[in-house]
Amino acid sequence: MEYFIQQLINGLTLGGMYALIALGYTMVYGVIQLINFAHGEFFAAGGYAGAIALAYFAGMGYMESHPVLCLTGSFVLAMAYCAYLAIGVEKIAYKPLRKESRLSALLSALGMSIFLSNGMMLTRGVYDEVYPSELFQGGFDFGMVTISYLQITIVSLTAALLIGLNILVFKTKIGMAMRATAQDKTMSALVAIGSNRIISLTFAIGAGLAAAAGIMYGLYYGSVKYDMGFVPGIKAFAAAVLGGIGNITGAMIGGLVIGMVEIFGAGYISSEYKDVFAFIILIAVLYFKPTGIMGENIDDTRV
Amino acid sequence: MRKRVASILAIGLILVPFLFGAVYAKTLRIGSMSPLTGPYASDGTDIKNGALTAIEVFEEMGGIPGYDKIELMPQDTACDPRQAVAAANKLINLEVAGVIGAYCSSSTIPASDVLDEEDIIMITPASTNEKVTERGLAYMFRMCGRDDDQAPAAAKFIKEQLGGKTLFIVDDKTTYSQGLADGVAKAAKEMGMTVLAHEHVNQGDKDFSAVLTMAKKANADIFYMSLQGFSPAAMMTLQAKRLGMKSQIVTQDAMFQPRFMDVAKDAAEGVYLTFGYTDPSTPEYKAFEKRYVPKYGKIAAYATYSYDATTALLKAIKAAGTTDSAKVKAELMKLDFQGVAKNVKFRENGDSGSTYIAFKVENGKFVPYWDPEKGLIK
Amino acid sequence: MIQEFKKVWKPYVVGMLWLLGLLWPMLGVHPDGTLSFQKTFTVWSYILAGSFVCLVVYVVKASGSAAFIADPLSRAADRMKTSASAMPTWVWMAALLAACLAYPQFAGRYGTDVAINVMLYICLGLGLNVVVGLAGMLDLGYIAFYGVGAYTYALLNTIYGMAFWVCLPFAAVFACIAGCIVGYPTLRMRGDYLAIVTLGFGEIIRIILNNWMDLTNGPNGILGIDRIGWFRFVFENGVTFETIWVKKLQLFYYFSLALAILVAIGVNRLNFSRVGRAWESIREDETAAGLMGVNTFIYKLLAYAMGAFFAGLAGAFFAARMKFVSPESFTFLESAMVLCMVVLGGMGSIPGIVLGVVALIALPEVFREFESYRMLVFGSTMIIMMLFRPAGLIPAKRMGQRSEEKEG
Repeated sequence: MEYFIQQLINGLTLGGMYALIALGYTMVYGVIQLINFAHGEFFAAGGYAGAIALAYFAGMGYMESHPVLCLTGSFVLAMAYCAYLAIGVEKIAYKPLRKESRLSALLSALGMSIFLSNGMMLTRGVYDEVYPSELFQGGFDFGMVTISYLQITIVSLTAALLIGLNILVFKTKIGMAMRATAQDKTMSALVAIGSNRIISLTFAIGAGLAAAAGIMYGLYYGSVKYDMGFVPGIKAFAAAVLGGIGNITGAMIGGLVIGMVEIFGAGYISSEYKDVFAFIILIAVLYFKPTGIMGENIDDTRV
Repeated sequence: MRKRVASILAIGLILVPFLFGAVYAKTLRIGSMSPLTGPYASDGTDIKNGALTAIEVFEEMGGIPGYDKIELMPQDTACDPRQAVAAANKLINLEVAGVIGAYCSSSTIPASDVLDEEDIIMITPASTNEKVTERGLAYMFRMCGRDDDQAPAAAKFIKEQLGGKTLFIVDDKTTYSQGLADGVAKAAKEMGMTVLAHEHVNQGDKDFSAVLTMAKKANADIFYMSLQGFSPAAMMTLQAKRLGMKSQIVTQDAMFQPRFMDVAKDAAEGVYLTFGYTDPSTPEYKAFEKRYVPKYGKIAAYATYSYDATTALLKAIKAAGTTDSAKVKAELMKLDFQGVAKNVKFRENGDSGSTYIAFKVENGKFVPYWDPEKGLIK
Repeated sequence: MIQEFKKVWKPYVVGMLWLLGLLWPMLGVHPDGTLSFQKTFTVWSYILAGSFVCLVVYVVKASGSAAFIADPLSRAADRMKTSASAMPTWVWMAALLAACLAYPQFAGRYGTDVAINVMLYICLGLGLNVVVGLAGMLDLGYIAFYGVGAYTYALLNTIYGMAFWVCLPFAAVFACIAGCIVGYPTLRMRGDYLAIVTLGFGEIIRIILNNWMDLTNGPNGILGIDRIGWFRFVFENGVTFETIWVKKLQLFYYFSLALAILVAIGVNRLNFSRVGRAWESIREDETAAGLMGVNTFIYKLLAYAMGAFFAGLAGAFFAARMKFVSPESFTFLESAMVLCMVVLGGMGSIPGIVLGVVALIALPEVFREFESYRMLVFGSTMIIMMLFRPAGLIPAKRMGQRSEEKEG
């Protein structure tokens, strides 16, 4: 039982991170029907920006006096940095291709992904960027079950971000505009919604969430690396599709499911085949529900 | 008409430097193969830097008679067998006198087949798999140790020094890590220890919480961690500590990289690892340190091996007075000198052997801790 | 010229300032709490200078000031085009074939090696073209079939000692079966759901190859695979066989060239056959195709099987050339690369795909000189090529407008 609870907590932490990344995929997909392969790189860039900001604060000596302020500051800076990056990437690599076949935008996204991860490697060096570990030392220890403060922080922060996003999308004017653009660009333009601005905003929000996930990742695993976006990127893409791509609630559920399946598959069956379990669940769900868990019945969309 | 002539002339002028670029002064070319992009770029860059340093030092000491310059031709393998073969063929085209590399055993093996067809000497500074030198290739050498040297040494250390009775082994399914983990499991069983579990994770994984929870439940005396590259290992160490795992962590030579402690920080304290014995007090090591550190930063495991491999190759070429592989090989076999990492002397099959000793992480440094012959090092 | 410049300078300046803002945190903030600007500005000024040259070239070209070079060139190109169309196609084909045949005599070992890669990837690209370009299904796990083919030959050869030519059909058929297994459950899905499921299957096959120690020897891969060989009758002491191994790289090149030509002919015939038309109708509108009596299920499955078949062939050749297979050659990135070749070249067009393969295999090799900058340059080249030729280098002629584009 204790073993189960421990694995449950592990799964929750991992799943929360996947969910945050998956949201960016799903939001971008919802608005412009593009699988943004560079999204994993936004996540990595967020991790790097956070590491840089934290190291800078530590170097200035603010870390000892105001740790919470520094952490909040680096979250804000990293999210802003990634939003800034994503808006530019969209303008350069995706916007000119919006009228073309979706595959050409996909290819451009793949090129961007290679470009960004190598760009990070060249600017920050080939070695891992280290996160300070003094934050959130220790945790609750119940014999077999250990819950670190860090895990609690990550899970609660993830929950807060998810709730915030839900409010933004479903309760505010901007959210309404985003949903309108996702449904019909021409119609939303007729009611004076600037689709370009909304698309930029979507990219910015998605990248900001990915950046938050990147910092959490860095805090949790101790370091970030230029190639770290690739594997979580694919998993988060799977999570987004599992939930029904384009659906925000679906992405959250999908992220949690993929995280849980991975941890429980590894913990109870075999750790070497854990990715296989995650993909088998994905395939099984899609076999019985071809548009994902929450996906509505979309009309014929093909490559 | 005049305009056309002018444009042709302009194109010609642009092309001229390319044509002349091909004409070099008489240079000796040495190839290096290592992953310069992709997840193992850090180790691959260390290999390249080590070789560059060796060439620099050798040139300062007078170089090789008959050549104005020694040049390194670094090639990227990305740890992908197909690209490794392409890189090997490229080096053959460049007419290199020898090749230092590659990093991943799975790149070294197919690349060495290609180089062997053209009788080009290859010295690997990092591939520890037995198969590398056991295929009877005439021109394949190895500067680092072998998995089947290291595994028994590690098992002996665990039993005799740490008094471990039960083991929990994790590897990440690469030729290197799995070969070593299997070797340790086998040796441990022969010595009467129990292997409680042998789990595998996948390359590219960063989250090890599931496996570590399992290890925590198993509560073995020793947690043997066999991963390719120091960065996942540092992450695993950190996560193990956070999870409150009590087993003693023992690991291997790939973690001999000071950045291991940068990432894992205080979680790394007290971790043991086996590594080929390097004496940091030799004048060779100190000279290398003085030259390498200001330029490339902290010294890593493969930089020293790559330095020694390059030096050995250059020495042999100088002694042979030619780049003819058979003669250089004869000279390589005769070599017996104190390198940076160890005393270099090749055996008949191309291996150079390595005495594995155990290091302990103390105050953020690797400290020699135990020797299989003499026991504790004070 | 000023006019053109006015048009572009604003986005250019904004873009460059954006880049500066992007670079500075990465290069200028140091962990010891200091900030520096010099390195950022140096790097930035290099990029600025480089891109400014490109900008000037673009502006000059757009304004027509470069007419004294561009005009004779375009005139020459026109003349060549007219003379080209005057000549029958077979002349060009013959010339191309002759060039291909003569190629290894001029190229060194390295050139031949790259050319072999190109040939194998042409097979892969054409095979994927059947799935993506003709039948319109996005497949992100295609490389798995290549892996199945390679491992089939490797295992049959090392365990049973079977010769290459015996194994070749087995490799293709096994890959075909794998294609059907993957295809069957995925056919209900469409678009991006299909993409992720194929990606999942690709990863599953790779992970199984990596973990099934008893059969595949896991990450160590399979060593000591035989090269291509053939039998020769020896008429001493009766009739015996003698095996000749294809040792020379050049000979192997001719074999892979033959394979690529066969696959190209095969895909071409498929494209213009009844089956090809059925695929095309499915691609354009699946519902309508079904209503017109096309058995969409069978044809989609057939597309998968055919695609996998070609990949299996290429895989067997790959194993024979490397004499070594390991799961590292069959990662998702390779699938993505093959997809890139198809899209970059122009979906559905055979010459386009050949060109796409040449571009994507040759470019990383050409960029070898850049060492660690190699992949950076490669990634940006990919984006630039897509921006300038979004429909591919040589778009297919018979591509109709696709349904989903009409919606948008």
